[in-house]
Amino acid sequence: MSSQLLIAALVSGSVYALIALGLNLVYGTMRLLNVAHGEFVMIGAYCAYWGFELLGINPLVSILIAVPLTTLMAIGFYFGIFRTAMRSAEFMERIEANSLLVFFGTSVILQNAVALLFTPNQRDYRYADQIVHILDARVPVNKLIVLGIAGAVCIGAVAFFRLSTLGIAIKALIQQREAAALVGIPVARIDLLCFCLGFAIAGLAGVLVSMTEEISPYMGFPFTVTAFVVVILGGLGNVFGSLFGGLLLGVLETFGVALTAPSYRSIMIYGVFIAVLLLRPQGLFGAGRART
Amino acid sequence: MIPILRRQIGIATLVALLAIGLPWVGNEYYTGFAFTLVTWIALTESWIVISGMTGYVSLGHVVFIGIGAYVAALTWMVLPIWAIVPLTGLAAAALAAVVGYPCLRVRGPYFVILTFGVSELVKFIVINIEAGLSMSGRVLFAAPDIDDLFFIGLGLAWLSFVGALIVSHSRFGAGLRAIRENEEAAETIGISVGLLKLAAFVLSAIVPGMVGALLIMRSTYFEPMQIFNPQTSVLIVTMAVIGGSDRPVGPLLGVVLLVALQEVLWASLPQLYMIIVGVLLVGVVIGMPGGVYGRIQRLMAANAR
Repeated sequence: MSSQLLIAALVSGSVYALIALGLNLVYGTMRLLNVAHGEFVMIGAYCAYWGFELLGINPLVSILIAVPLTTLMAIGFYFGIFRTAMRSAEFMERIEANSLLVFFGTSVILQNAVALLFTPNQRDYRYADQIVHILDARVPVNKLIVLGIAGAVCIGAVAFFRLSTLGIAIKALIQQREAAALVGIPVARIDLLCFCLGFAIAGLAGVLVSMTEEISPYMGFPFTVTAFVVVILGGLGNVFGSLFGGLLLGVLETFGVALTAPSYRSIMIYGVFIAVLLLRPQGLFGAGRART
Repeated sequence: MIPILRRQIGIATLVALLAIGLPWVGNEYYTGFAFTLVTWIALTESWIVISGMTGYVSLGHVVFIGIGAYVAALTWMVLPIWAIVPLTGLAAAALAAVVGYPCLRVRGPYFVILTFGVSELVKFIVINIEAGLSMSGRVLFAAPDIDDLFFIGLGLAWLSFVGALIVSHSRFGAGLRAIRENEEAAETIGISVGLLKLAAFVLSAIVPGMVGALLIMRSTYFEPMQIFNPQTSVLIVTMAVIGGSDRPVGPLLGVVLLVALQEVLWASLPQLYMIIVGVLLVGVVIGMPGGVYGRIQRLMAANAR
């Protein structure tokens, strides 16, 4: 029983960590909260769904469609909307609130455009749902695939930020934007890169989510909220923290639901979220005051 | 009282008094439409007291509607209507006081997501309570007819608008705007920012609570998923922002525009309506961050020069 729960917790935890990683990159570098992040997860999920249902494409191959698609959307968004907005002095005066509203509008547009195109119904497809036995747990293969890919990308990201020059430059930018610019880090290019990476990771996560869960046009926003909780838990711009936060939330959610009832799931997620924001807005590892 | 404030209150009162005659002039359809219009006016005008003036964008305003509706559903047939409506306002204000103090300690995106989170949390708590009582929705028998609901809604819209006007022109409102522009500076010059924010938050909750009571009397049905629908918060924010959320006149423009659009599209193409709402929100924030009314004011100022 408990190994069953542990594996379930690891699977959802790794997905949360992955989604939060994307959110953290954009928020960390540009200090803009992409509340439409979950909508790009949803778009990735729909790519995999239609690829599978219409063309019979293996969802793993759909990753190669979903990731470029969300990356393109990121580029379009960055140049089409963001650059335009930043030219307006009035917009820049209250950039934080204004960009939030822009992302928010984008989220509303994407949800409803997908609902209009593909109906608001929930959908799912069956992929790799054979059961395997691990210890005393019965686990469908698709969950193991999700865990494998999400885990590999997360660990890869940690290594990237520890070892590569580019990764260290991004970290520097997250920690001290002005100082990073002074020592010659190309701020604008890294902003764009992180923006694209963030969206690409969302698209990837969407494909993974679609393998094991029902998808719908409105599935995205809860992921945004969960990712935000994970980012706060782990600390702003802290990649390793995101990983830890994701797993922690996965464990809390899975065991919490097992101990109470599925109807308490949302109460638990939002409860953890509110408690963290109120008690430790600087994150579990953060020392200083939260940047607000 | 400053002349401009007196004039604006005078106009608002005159319009409200004239609107009382509507049920005798039109038919039930027009009254229903007017009811929708006044409830949205009441909601957006209450929202700007906290979010427009302090810049603390609340994405959870629907929680006050929901809690008001829940209190109304619980006290239905127990108390008379004239007692239920003010009680729902008080309940919403009490909730705002409880959640406002901790929520207002965080700022920017933290506050936005937190208000959303609180509203969802309260929704799921109500759902669980109702499930625990094995209630799936509550029917309100013998609800007042649309004319009476319209009169109450009109009164609330007037109250909300005039309240926002008075706050906007008062020292209190100036303090709230100072918080929006620079909270540290405001605190340094002796504005008690914590108290002001909390007062604005509690004030902004009263009217939505009462609107919540009206909405379920209109639908004669209480169902938490529906009354706590986050989409309502989205619409409040969009109406206020596209009209211009700094001054109370602004949201009126946004409400009229979106409610008219809603009337045309909601029944047939609800998703298209929401897409247009999103496009308007993005377009206005990028193109004219002060909203339509902000742009009009700028143009008038430019012409006057």
